[in-house]
Amino acid sequence: GNACVRGLLGWARPERWLAASSLFPLSCIHTSCTALQQIGKWEKKNRIVYPPQLPGEPRRPAEIYHCRREIKYSKDKMWYLAKLIKGMSIDQALAQLEFSDKKGAKVIKEVLLEAQELAVKKHNVEFKSNLHIAESTTGRGRYMKRIRYHGKGMFGIMKIVRCHYFVKLVEGPPPPPEPPKTGFDQAKEYVQQLRSRTLVNTL
Amino acid sequence: LVLVLPPLPRFRGLLQRCWQRLEGGLLPGFSRGQSLPWGPALAVQAPAFLPQPVDDTNESNEAPSLLDSILWMAAPKKRRTIEVNRCRRRNPNKLIKVKTNIDVCPECGNLKQKHVLCGYCYAKVKAETRLIRKEIYKQEGGPFNAPTEETVVLYDGEKPTEKDAGKRIIERARKRPSWFAQN
Repeated sequence: GNACVRGLLGWARPERWLAASSLFPLSCIHTSCTALQQIGKWEKKNRIVYPPQLPGEPRRPAEIYHCRREIKYSKDKMWYLAKLIKGMSIDQALAQLEFSDKKGAKVIKEVLLEAQELAVKKHNVEFKSNLHIAESTTGRGRYMKRIRYHGKGMFGIMKIVRCHYFVKLVEGPPPPPEPPKTGFDQAKEYVQQLRSRTLVNTL
Repeated sequence: LVLVLPPLPRFRGLLQRCWQRLEGGLLPGFSRGQSLPWGPALAVQAPAFLPQPVDDTNESNEAPSLLDSILWMAAPKKRRTIEVNRCRRRNPNKLIKVKTNIDVCPECGNLKQKHVLCGYCYAKVKAETRLIRKEIYKQEGGPFNAPTEETVVLYDGEKPTEKDAGKRIIERARKRPSWFAQN
């Protein structure tokens, strides 16, 4: 009990402590200690609470962090799907994933739908289509090593591979794609680089 | 005589046989009184020393040995760095291409590919077909009892018309679905 509280105060930063238990300070002190599964960093990103905005400030778009852990798929193969949907609107991403033949596409689609639901219910998002994917990455899960039997008494050690998938949805239309760098831009940069050269170790 | 590096055992065996044949042929010819009875008659580049006949038979039967084949097997010279690996794995031709052939189905509003039937509508039709087939099975009572007439499916409150005179009638206890037009 006491050790848990001390540990909590040790690593918790003040704003997160406030975020976790704003009304009832002692209500969820025991959750992260007693739960066998640690709450990951990505899940904790949903807990930050910003101070109220001043009247003149532009509206801060809502950010929704969601992830799925220990998916039975390779992180390298999943990365291709994550790269596909980066920067798309959520509807376009769901359309692309629906007709993709990869195993990870089905999983990512479920994650996106869950995140959309979370956005509408908990994060005060008005229109569920007004979301775009700001970040989408994969991470390595827990690997298991097993023996794979070959002929002539030989064996290999194979890895049973799992991955995590992280997604960040932001309210608003997707940002316009960056125009590809033209030769003129590259030339301008080069000239700028040449002009900004100075003499070193002199007056 | 030029010293040639030990050729393949097969070549050595061939040399051996040539040599033996020459020896056999030259012995009777020795009576003619040639200056070099033991010299090889063939002008062939041969090893300076006589090849030993001791372990000859094993070597001539053996296929090109493992040692020879390992020498010319392809193997990577250096470890591929992660930068090189990334360039290969993230090359645009390996990234998944964005599909531009996705449309909205006019019937149900779900997504569909342009050249493929809508998945939702197809599943709907499939379910109804399965129920019709169950009715047919109940009427027929077993396999191989299909009648020779045509079949007509009638829903709630529908009567067979003159066109359905000689046809087999299957009753379905529900309202006619909008997509199943009646003839």
